[in-house]
Amino acid sequence: MKAMNHDVDRVNLKLLKTAIRFNARILGLTAGTLAAVGIYIATQASIVKWGGDSGGYLGLLAIFFPGYSVSSIGAWVGAFWAFIYFGTCSWLSYRVYGKVLGTRISALLLSPVPAANPVLKPSTLRLHGVSLGVAIGSIAALCLFASTVWLVVRGTAGESVHAALFSNYIPGYSVSIMGGLWGAIELFGLVFLACLLLAAVYNKVVKIRHKTS
Amino acid sequence: MSRSIRDHEILSAVFAKMDVVAMSVAVGSLCSLLFFLATAVLLMQTAPENYPVGEHLSDLSDYLPGYSVSWAGTLIGACYGFLFGALAGFSAALYWNLTHYFALGVMLISSAQLAD
Repeated sequence: MKAMNHDVDRVNLKLLKTAIRFNARILGLTAGTLAAVGIYIATQASIVKWGGDSGGYLGLLAIFFPGYSVSSIGAWVGAFWAFIYFGTCSWLSYRVYGKVLGTRISALLLSPVPAANPVLKPSTLRLHGVSLGVAIGSIAALCLFASTVWLVVRGTAGESVHAALFSNYIPGYSVSIMGGLWGAIELFGLVFLACLLLAAVYNKVVKIRHKTS
Repeated sequence: MSRSIRDHEILSAVFAKMDVVAMSVAVGSLCSLLFFLATAVLLMQTAPENYPVGEHLSDLSDYLPGYSVSWAGTLIGACYGFLFGALAGFSAALYWNLTHYFALGVMLISSAQLAD
C-alpha cells in the first residue's frame, strides 16, 4: 500500500483499515443475504413448477452445499450455504478491493470536496474499475480453481459433464488440476474486463445523473 | 489539519451511498452483454449437422419464456439479462445503502448510551 500511495504517512491508516473492515462486513452481509434469498426462491420455484420431478440442475448444488436438496427443507439449507459462500467471497473481495485501492479511497467520491457531514449527508460512491477487477477477478478465479479441485478430490471429475461445459467459454478448461489452474487464469482476465466495463458504465451514469440534478 | 481532512475523506468514502439507478443500469447492461455472448459463442462454434447446440443452456427457457439458443434467442436473452441484472443491481445497491443506514443507527444509539 505504501508503494502505491505517496502521501501514506499523512493518512490515518488505523481509520482506513477500520473503514475497509466495516464496508467488507456490510458487503458480505449484502451479498450473502441476496444469494440466500436467490437460492431459496429458485428452489421453491423449482418445486412449484416441477413438483416431484424437480432437482435436475439445482440438485447438483448438493456437491458444494452439504445437505442440500430441492425440497422445502433443502431450500433453507441452500440459503444457509449460499449466505456462507457468497458472504465470505464478497467480504474477501472487499478486503482485496480496499487493499488495492489503499488511500485512494477518498478519490472515489463524486464530489472532490468531502460532504459536510459524511455520515448524515453521504456523498455518492464511484467505483475503481482496476481495483474492482483485481478483487472480484481473483476471488472468482480462486472459486473456480477450488471447486474444480473439489470435484477432482472427491473422484467425480470424469462424471462432471456440466462443469466441463465451462470449456465452451473458457478454452482449455477441463475438470482437472491443470485445467482448473488454466481456467482460473482465464476467468480472472474475463472477470477483470467485465469489472472494468461495470465500473465505467456505473461511473458514467452517476456523472450524468448528478450533472443534470 | 492535514490529518483531520484525511479522516473526513475516509469517513465520506465509507458512508458514501451507492447510486441505485446507476448500479441497476450497470449490472443490467453487463448481464445483458454476458447473456448475449453466452448464447452467441455457442452458435458460432462449429458443430456437426443436426447436433443439438446449447442443449443445456436452452433449458433456461423453462424459466425464461421465449428464450432459445438461436440468433433471435440472443436478443431475447439479452433483454432477460438486462431485466434480471438490473433487478440484482437495484437490490444490491438498495440493500447496501440500507445496511449502512442501519449500521449507522446502531452506532449512534451505542454512542448515545455510552455518553449516558
